[in-house]
Amino acid sequence: MTAFVVASLSAREVSRRWAALALVVALPLWFYLVRRDLAGQSTRMLALGIGWSVSTLTLFVVNASRSVDPRLRLTGASTASIIGGRLAAMSGVGLAVAFGYWVLLGVDQDLLHWWVAGLMMAVTALVAAPLGSLIGALLPRELEGALALLSVCAVQMLADPAGTVAKFMPFWSTREIGTYAVDGGSFDMVWRGLGHAALMWLICAGGTLAIFRWRLRLANYPEPS
Amino acid sequence: MSDWPRLFESELLRLGLQPVRARQLTDETAQQAAEHAAPPADVFGPAHLYARHLVAELNTPATAQRLAPGPVLLSLTGVSKRYRRRTVFAGVDLRVRGGEVAAIVGANGCGKSTLLKICAGLTRPSAGEVRRTRRVGFVPQDGGTAGWLTAEEHFTLFGAAAGMVPGRARSTGVHLATRLAWRPSRKQPVQQLSGGTRQKLNLVLGELHAPDLLLLDEPYQGFDQGTYLDFWQQVFAWRDAGRAVVVVTHLLHDLQNVDHVLDLGASFEEGQR
Repeated sequence: MTAFVVASLSAREVSRRWAALALVVALPLWFYLVRRDLAGQSTRMLALGIGWSVSTLTLFVVNASRSVDPRLRLTGASTASIIGGRLAAMSGVGLAVAFGYWVLLGVDQDLLHWWVAGLMMAVTALVAAPLGSLIGALLPRELEGALALLSVCAVQMLADPAGTVAKFMPFWSTREIGTYAVDGGSFDMVWRGLGHAALMWLICAGGTLAIFRWRLRLANYPEPS
Repeated sequence: MSDWPRLFESELLRLGLQPVRARQLTDETAQQAAEHAAPPADVFGPAHLYARHLVAELNTPATAQRLAPGPVLLSLTGVSKRYRRRTVFAGVDLRVRGGEVAAIVGANGCGKSTLLKICAGLTRPSAGEVRRTRRVGFVPQDGGTAGWLTAEEHFTLFGAAAGMVPGRARSTGVHLATRLAWRPSRKQPVQQLSGGTRQKLNLVLGELHAPDLLLLDEPYQGFDQGTYLDFWQQVFAWRDAGRAVVVVTHLLHDLQNVDHVLDLGASFEEGQR
């Protein structure tokens, strides 16, 4: 119940931030338009743009709730319902953005596996939300968090997808699934991408929960005799 | 035609008021709603809740007839707080019973807000023992709200945290707001509210789940004179209803009406009854 209310109100809160929402939607579009002539480049950049924008939006939502969360805990909410509800809302926002761009790809590009491109963007959005949460949990100040996300996404874009460094980055799954969607090849790439995404999701969501469990812990005082 | 006056009157009768008195109160309430040019439900909240509130107010004994203090709801013994090598305060003792108001005073930086957070359980003491009742409401000095949500959405959110269904949380929140002479707008996000109105929201959120112990950290910042008086009336209403209230304050003229004063700077407590 609490998680559902947190999720619906977080989504409503985001929907009222028109300027931020417009920038979140626009950022992947710039990534896409720059290399629109190359289907593979533009599709992968579009997906990474979605990852960057959704994780940044989540980071700001998590930071904006910092003063509300302790009061919610004190009123009786569990940490899991607060964090889970917010994560569900931001994942929903991310999926909505991904769906919109998937339709754009269908109209504007001639991809080998269009539906796998949709899977790639959905997976990217689903990893981006807990990644933003984790960065927000680790770095409470917005500037530091935004710079950290910028670093992560920049390294992700520049690293050689076949190299070791890229495999440790959160959106390696995007490159792997995207390669199958654009260039074809073995379907194993999709499974590897999904496995990597699941692992990243667990690390980011679990890490977020663990940090907030510690940060939002309440002293367990005995009742007066 | 609204069913509100009929429900209100029948609830008053059910709560034991004489029919003539119930009719008189119903008429007066309708008149007040008409002055606001709004339906009674918008002004006073749900009929059954407002009827209960009114009956409780009518039954509240005068100050001179205050009931004996209830059980201890908060007890601090030898509490201290250190940040690395700096001792913020040490050896703090405080005991607040139901039906009592305690004030925490002291200079800036002496740890008043930290002590209140320790009472709430949001911060742990470095030493000493804290005992408190489970149901506690905490009102911070500032913040504590989400800027893009409306007041009613805050009621829903905090109500859900306390296990209340959304409709009941909203109606209770609106009802409590009317006691602070505030009618929350349904569309206005909190960031557009004045500082004083935001603090009213903070107060309502602290009280929404009917806690036994209220911890208030200078909650009247931004209040105008009338609201400030309303606030203290509200504090005394909580006290008379058997709740314990701890207020951080720096206004000395507040202290004449409280039961305990804890001066963190001087580290002493004295009864003021």
